[in-house]
Amino acid sequence: MSNGYHIVVCAGIVPDPLQTLEPVTGPQGPALRNEMMLPAVLDPWAAHALYEAAHLARNAPGSKVWLVSLSPKAKLQQVMMTIAQKVPFELVALDGPASGFTDAGETAVALARAIQAIPGLDRSRLLVFGGWESASRGAGATLQMVGEILGITDQFQGVDALEIQSDGSFRILERIEGGVHQVSACAGPPAVLGWATGTLPEPPNQPQIGMQNMRAIMPALQGAQPAGLAGGKIEFLEVRIPSVRRETQVIKDLSPEEIAKEIVEWIKE
Amino acid sequence: MEKILLLLGVDAEGKLSKAGLEAVEQARRLACSLPGASWAVGLVGRDAQDAARQVANCGAGKFLAVTGDAFASPRYASDAAAAEALARRSEATLILAPADSRWMRALPGAAHRLGAAVDTHIAAVEVADGAVQVRRWYYRQRIEAQQTRRSRPWVLLMDAGNIEPWAGEAGETALEALPAEVAESWDRTKVVGVEAPETDEQTIRPDAGLLFVAGAGWTKKQPDGLSHLEEAAELILDFVRKTKCSLGSSKSLVELSSEGQAVLPFLTHLHQVGQTGSTPRHPKGLATCCHGEEPHVVGWRFIKERRAVNLDPNCGWAQGKADVLYVADAFAVMREVNRLLG
Amino acid sequence: MPEPDRQQMDVDIACVGFGPAAGGFLITLARRLADRDGPALASRMAPGMPLQVVCYERADDMGFGVSGVATRARAIRESFPGLDVSEIPLAAEISEERILYLLDPYGASRRPLLMRFADRLIRAFPRLFRCDRDAIELPFTPEFLHKAGGLVLSIGQFNSWVGQQVMMTGAAQIWPGSPVAEPLIEEGRVAGVRLIDQGVDRKGNPAGGYLPGMDIRSALTVIGDGPAGPVGRKLDEVFGMPEGHRRDEWAVGMKFVVQLPEGVDLKPGTVFHTIGYPEPEIFGFFYVHPGRLASVGIFVPSWFENPARTAYRYLQHYIQHPYLWRYLKGGTLRSWGAKSIQESGRRGEPYLAGDGYARIGEGSGSTNVLTGSGVDEAWATGVLLAEAVVDLLEKGEPFTRENLERAYVGRRRRSWLEQESRVAEKARDGFHRGVIAGFIGMGLTGLSGGRLAVPGRPKPPRKRFPRVEEFFADRIPRGEIEKIRQECAAQAKPLHDALMERCGWPKIEYDGKLLVSHQDALLMGGKVQAPAGVADHVVFLYPKLCESCGTRICVEMCSGEAIHPGEDGVPAFDREKCVHCGACFWNCPEENIRFEAGPGGLHSAEN
Repeated sequence: MSNGYHIVVCAGIVPDPLQTLEPVTGPQGPALRNEMMLPAVLDPWAAHALYEAAHLARNAPGSKVWLVSLSPKAKLQQVMMTIAQKVPFELVALDGPASGFTDAGETAVALARAIQAIPGLDRSRLLVFGGWESASRGAGATLQMVGEILGITDQFQGVDALEIQSDGSFRILERIEGGVHQVSACAGPPAVLGWATGTLPEPPNQPQIGMQNMRAIMPALQGAQPAGLAGGKIEFLEVRIPSVRRETQVIKDLSPEEIAKEIVEWIKE
Repeated sequence: MEKILLLLGVDAEGKLSKAGLEAVEQARRLACSLPGASWAVGLVGRDAQDAARQVANCGAGKFLAVTGDAFASPRYASDAAAAEALARRSEATLILAPADSRWMRALPGAAHRLGAAVDTHIAAVEVADGAVQVRRWYYRQRIEAQQTRRSRPWVLLMDAGNIEPWAGEAGETALEALPAEVAESWDRTKVVGVEAPETDEQTIRPDAGLLFVAGAGWTKKQPDGLSHLEEAAELILDFVRKTKCSLGSSKSLVELSSEGQAVLPFLTHLHQVGQTGSTPRHPKGLATCCHGEEPHVVGWRFIKERRAVNLDPNCGWAQGKADVLYVADAFAVMREVNRLLG
Repeated sequence: MPEPDRQQMDVDIACVGFGPAAGGFLITLARRLADRDGPALASRMAPGMPLQVVCYERADDMGFGVSGVATRARAIRESFPGLDVSEIPLAAEISEERILYLLDPYGASRRPLLMRFADRLIRAFPRLFRCDRDAIELPFTPEFLHKAGGLVLSIGQFNSWVGQQVMMTGAAQIWPGSPVAEPLIEEGRVAGVRLIDQGVDRKGNPAGGYLPGMDIRSALTVIGDGPAGPVGRKLDEVFGMPEGHRRDEWAVGMKFVVQLPEGVDLKPGTVFHTIGYPEPEIFGFFYVHPGRLASVGIFVPSWFENPARTAYRYLQHYIQHPYLWRYLKGGTLRSWGAKSIQESGRRGEPYLAGDGYARIGEGSGSTNVLTGSGVDEAWATGVLLAEAVVDLLEKGEPFTRENLERAYVGRRRRSWLEQESRVAEKARDGFHRGVIAGFIGMGLTGLSGGRLAVPGRPKPPRKRFPRVEEFFADRIPRGEIEKIRQECAAQAKPLHDALMERCGWPKIEYDGKLLVSHQDALLMGGKVQAPAGVADHVVFLYPKLCESCGTRICVEMCSGEAIHPGEDGVPAFDREKCVHCGACFWNCPEENIRFEAGPGGLHSAEN
């Protein structure tokens, strides 16, 4: 494609995946304890989408990548300090909760509006990327609704590969049941792709990309408008950590042979 | 009065999946506990006759279908249009569907067309004081909530493995086929087929009775000061072959492969269980050489009986989370297990 | 290997490490740069642009890998007039301060005779001494030990908060996850820094996605990478230390952040400083944050000569001391971490400035070893340097040694920092004669304003540690130690657990919440991670030396069990467990460990 793609990556921030999460209920409904104190990262699957977007843009001259994020501004700024070093993009920031308890529909409307407001965005070249679901929050519904609002009906979820064919069409691999991929041919943009892990490793930190990105990121953050989520669509009756504690029988004194015998018997039960 | 629509995709053989039949049972129970509620089954596929017969006696009041070649394969545009048509025809207030790849892809978008709210990762749908409540997961199976919504329509995508599949007798039923208006634009996307990852043999089996989780300990140096990757690979694969179990792996083991280290070559990101991986459902799980805390252990939240082999008796993966922890060298144990399995 | 094709970037000021010192430096400088009323300070390296100020931080985020503190916060408050403490998560005004002497409930610690006598006396007359749960509150404590009017801070949260303020000015950039490999030294001048290579294997050889570390060329390089930072240490190596200055005294600080159980109503800002337990040489602390969180930890100093020194095991015993356990029992581990502390104070001060560079923070010898205060002092050094830099920039003067000496070092010499550190200089010398002499020395120095001290000759850690057999000679027969050695070797375990239990320390009964295995502390508390594609940052230089090493103190003291027994007696390093505390390089008796900057480590910001 001579003019390249306009790739919009939707990516929220989430607590660093190794953090211990505990729900609390406040006046605004459920939230995570110390949510603003937990270290945050760009949502891992959405981050893969960003790297795939940058890779695609690099190989299709004339392409441009935007990162649209609905997150608390201060936390997003901190995450940008890491992510901005990875690949070139322009940030579109919406100031609002990055909570998993937000209604996916509301988030989708806010994101779609932000995308529609991007100056110079060419719908005929548009690819909307994101994670197939948040790797931390896990809703798996937002991106589809963003696409729907934007009128895009070529949508793919759990994408591990996007290959550009010689005629400009796409060959897309989506994760489906049974550890296999569904293979689709798509005529080209506009399309929505919710990425799983993809195939690219995390790019190294590149200081000059960071410096370049940051010139536009800081004004974007400073000018971030409130996302205006009304909330209250879901009535939460109870939010809790599932009780998962089991009485573990620790067996220390058996020989490997005896253990093997027990395991085999158990498997065959 | 609630009107329930259960959406089911019909596979290439004209059959319904196990997850679909679980959803049938869930919808049946829901309809029974909501006085005055009506319920319809909406089928989408190339041909829905066999599938309709399969669930003819489930108690649904109506069987609707959108069929034709355009609906044979799961695809966003056609599935979303079919879901929309079925929802409008049935005037559904509650739209249930299994959270399989087909409906996870298409239904949220269709919900938007219908002005519906969506909840995903639902473990149970219940009725309390005449109102519908759902129990669903947030934060990737780490937090669960009991919740409800007032607005309708309400789309509920239900995780598999929470309820016994409906297993009633097949029968005959009237199938109302909705006129399928196929748009040309749908052909922008064509499903070409299915491709297995480039591995020599099948190691992911969602329906297997056992999940075998291999942790990073398999690649670490053993008491002789060397790592024994070839033997580890052979022991694991031999066990997977012999038991026809499904293979899962910890995040750290999958990620080691990106460091250019010698690792177990057959492991891919598709094998990763836990946070940022999958949470498969199997009746039994055997974890070996795994070490991790809560976010990783999410990987076997849905394993009913759990055993672990690990050298560390205080290992966070097993303590309080496994039923039995064998403190032993997994190499020695699995050698013997494989021998016993013949 | 031929020199790879490195990319290069020019900036005006490159800062290494984002800790409290860099925080003080950057916030002071960035505010001035963002101030539109003052004369514009233009970039010389990128003409036409504003001054380019960047800070490279090793850890993966701004608040990782640091600790909780109780600080007088004089300099910090000066930087934020009218500070609303509630703006900083986990911060509280100090509300109550106790200095406690802890008795040993097990009789397992190695207490000097005088202390044992005192303990007996206290136990014989508990009411007289107001002994409460094996602890007495010291009734007459000198002013210098108190931090009244100060703040309890989580430096993790404080750093994040400061970083946000700096970034929002738009005048400086902080880049976490960007370790600096070394300074660029050209003809005696520091010309910038080199970032670490990426896309390499664990030995540093190019692998997939090889990206040689970029050269950041700068007019001024500000080194604030702490006492274990490789840039500061490299400068010491190249330029040497001023006459009579050495870094012989160190400590490992290790702590838990604990969610206190329901019903514990300690006021936020409550501070306990403790002495006497788990060993007389080990100091402890307990700080209460808002939200029923507490930081509780210990300092294991280099003058504690146990070669099987394990901060983690000692910390587990410390929190179970009856005086503290009544608050902590039933609590949950939220965070955990460890760090090296430079305890030489002013005596460890390097050359503070040279052509193209200046040193700030703990690595510049700013810690006050009498008051045990480092964060506020580090912050002050950053502020002083920023003022100096603005001064030079406004006058259009270059960052030469002479100019920096005058503008920065001169300011520092005239500051309260210098006066207080001179008072403190000899305060801890007495500890080199023994614990009692150490405490007497501190008291003398504090009360006399630095005029008196108990003399002692600090020795570098490597010359201090006896062999295990020697240290435990009075407690465990030699033959039994050999047996313990063999058993531990067979299980590839360090010796300390077995040795401590043999000396009477009770086994730790894990509760899965707060008393957890060391490995679980890494995961539950530290969330320790190690990214791929970079070289190992801990390297054993000459394996032969390790083979013949009698102590393997690196294995015993490793804060994360990242260094463990390996093949042929050469320890192995597992970076997935490393918290980058740096204790290995200063503990190694053979100076055989290279400790460099690498990304990863702790991923907790509640520290």
